[in-house]
Amino acid sequence: MNKHALQVRQICAGYDGSDVLHQITFALKAGEVLAVVGPNGSGKSTLLKALTGLLTLRSGEVEIGGDPLTSLSAAERARRCAVQPQTEAPAFDYTVEQFVLLGSHPHRALLAPSRKSDWRATTKALAEADLISLAQRSVCSLSTGEWQRTLLARAVAQNAPILLLDEPVAHLDPGHRFSVHVLLRRLARDQNRAVLCVSHDLNLAAEFCDRLMILSEGKIRVLGPPEEALSEGVLQEVFHCPSLRVTSNPFTGRPGTVFAP
Amino acid sequence: MSTALRLILLVTATLILIITAVCYGPTALLDLPRLIELLRLGPITPDLERASLVLWELRLPRILLAAAAGANLALGGLLLQAIFRNPLAEPYLLGLSSGGALGAVLALATGLIAVTWSALAGSLAIAAIVMLLGRRRIAADLPSLLLVGVALGALAQAFTTALILRFDPGALRSILFWLMGSFAGRGWPEVWLLLPAALCGSCLIFLLHRPLDLLALGGEGAHHLGVRVMWLQGGGIALAAILAALTVATCGTIGFVGLMAPHMARKLVGAPHGASIPASVLIGVILTVGSDLAARTILAGTELPVGIVTGALGCVFFLALLRQKR
Repeated sequence: MNKHALQVRQICAGYDGSDVLHQITFALKAGEVLAVVGPNGSGKSTLLKALTGLLTLRSGEVEIGGDPLTSLSAAERARRCAVQPQTEAPAFDYTVEQFVLLGSHPHRALLAPSRKSDWRATTKALAEADLISLAQRSVCSLSTGEWQRTLLARAVAQNAPILLLDEPVAHLDPGHRFSVHVLLRRLARDQNRAVLCVSHDLNLAAEFCDRLMILSEGKIRVLGPPEEALSEGVLQEVFHCPSLRVTSNPFTGRPGTVFAP
Repeated sequence: MSTALRLILLVTATLILIITAVCYGPTALLDLPRLIELLRLGPITPDLERASLVLWELRLPRILLAAAAGANLALGGLLLQAIFRNPLAEPYLLGLSSGGALGAVLALATGLIAVTWSALAGSLAIAAIVMLLGRRRIAADLPSLLLVGVALGALAQAFTTALILRFDPGALRSILFWLMGSFAGRGWPEVWLLLPAALCGSCLIFLLHRPLDLLALGGEGAHHLGVRVMWLQGGGIALAAILAALTVATCGTIGFVGLMAPHMARKLVGAPHGASIPASVLIGVILTVGSDLAARTILAGTELPVGIVTGALGCVFFLALLRQKR
């Protein structure tokens, strides 16, 4: 497939008069996992807002599935691009299953009842996020990690070719961190979805992504395969941490980071 | 018990209450054959004339008005709770009803324009100010926005009180009674204003039940699932303002129904709006028709403002809720 799922051209965006993002340009192919890392306040969440129309661009252009973002209706945008937002505490007692079923909303007419295919997508997403045993629990009673997996399940059940995730594993235990990354890899490989994942876990990101983007002060500092992108000099400078060292995973040979205090 | 069964039970309870309310009152219409005779249109025998008058000119319009007001209050509460992601939001808290009351009293004081239009203007003005302040901010700071509504409502109430003091003592009493909320002394014109509003409002809000689900669960998430959040928030607040204004203009201010009905509905049929919208409407109808029945029968020979009954009910309800949560 030569058409890019997501094409970003020289975008600038920000809040209240000052730009947070400067001239960001990149493309995301179908079947590819792109990890976005960077220090706090480097513009990662702002980038996701700009890509999804939550933030108006000062300049530049975002294309989703070949069409400019601004030309898409809200429903069409949701059919093409699913987003897992950062956790926002729920206020009402929906069950986990009712919540994930809402992922089918963009594919349904206003009054259409849920179809068999919607339930199938919901059950599958619940299983993939390891939520089957919690399906009938109220979302208000979940732990932060369980709630985060519920948000991921809804984004997966949305069945969009592009999946954007804002720190999907921030509150998860090591087991679920790993299984979520395995899931993202599988969604890209088996279903040809394009996955962009903002993360602070450099090791898991490097282990599972095809390309890695390091964002610093609103600019792309490095973008490339993890072996090239993770260089000690850049990491130490970007994260202001001279103790950060690059090693390689003895089992897979992929790069990773350790601290040498 | 399935959700559908619970809704059917609720419909049955509502109908039984409405029939009871029609039959029961100072002039008892309890006798069923007589009631059926009365409901049949056409010529009636002279001995039934008084009963017919009570039924068609007093009882029926009063109960239909109470039902419509209950539905409107419940819908307004449910809508605002989803929009503000806060189970405590309702037209009174947000100042929409106080704005309506100010408009209505202003019209009564000056006699320049119709009470209904003036109440609409008052409610919509408050809604507009709240929306202007929340403009361009999808993940807007909703609790602060709610506080803006509370502040504006307090201001509107202060103005209303200042205005009321300028009335002469005779008018003052009737205005106060009206402000406290009552379904007494209203007729078909009020019913024909409020009932269509309740029906249209219910249909419109039910049409949006899934977008409301998404909005209630988070503004950003709703945006990502294709909901036009700004439109839904703006339109929803405007609709809640219209419903509140029409209710205030016809029945005065009746508190707590907009807060209690959605709470009870979610407890009974779950949070998803596909079920909680009809359940809220029915519970709203039960609360107002039941409170009105109590207001006109508790004290023999005299009548309480219905707002006093719903206020007392609301207090008991929230203390019980608090006890349960502990």
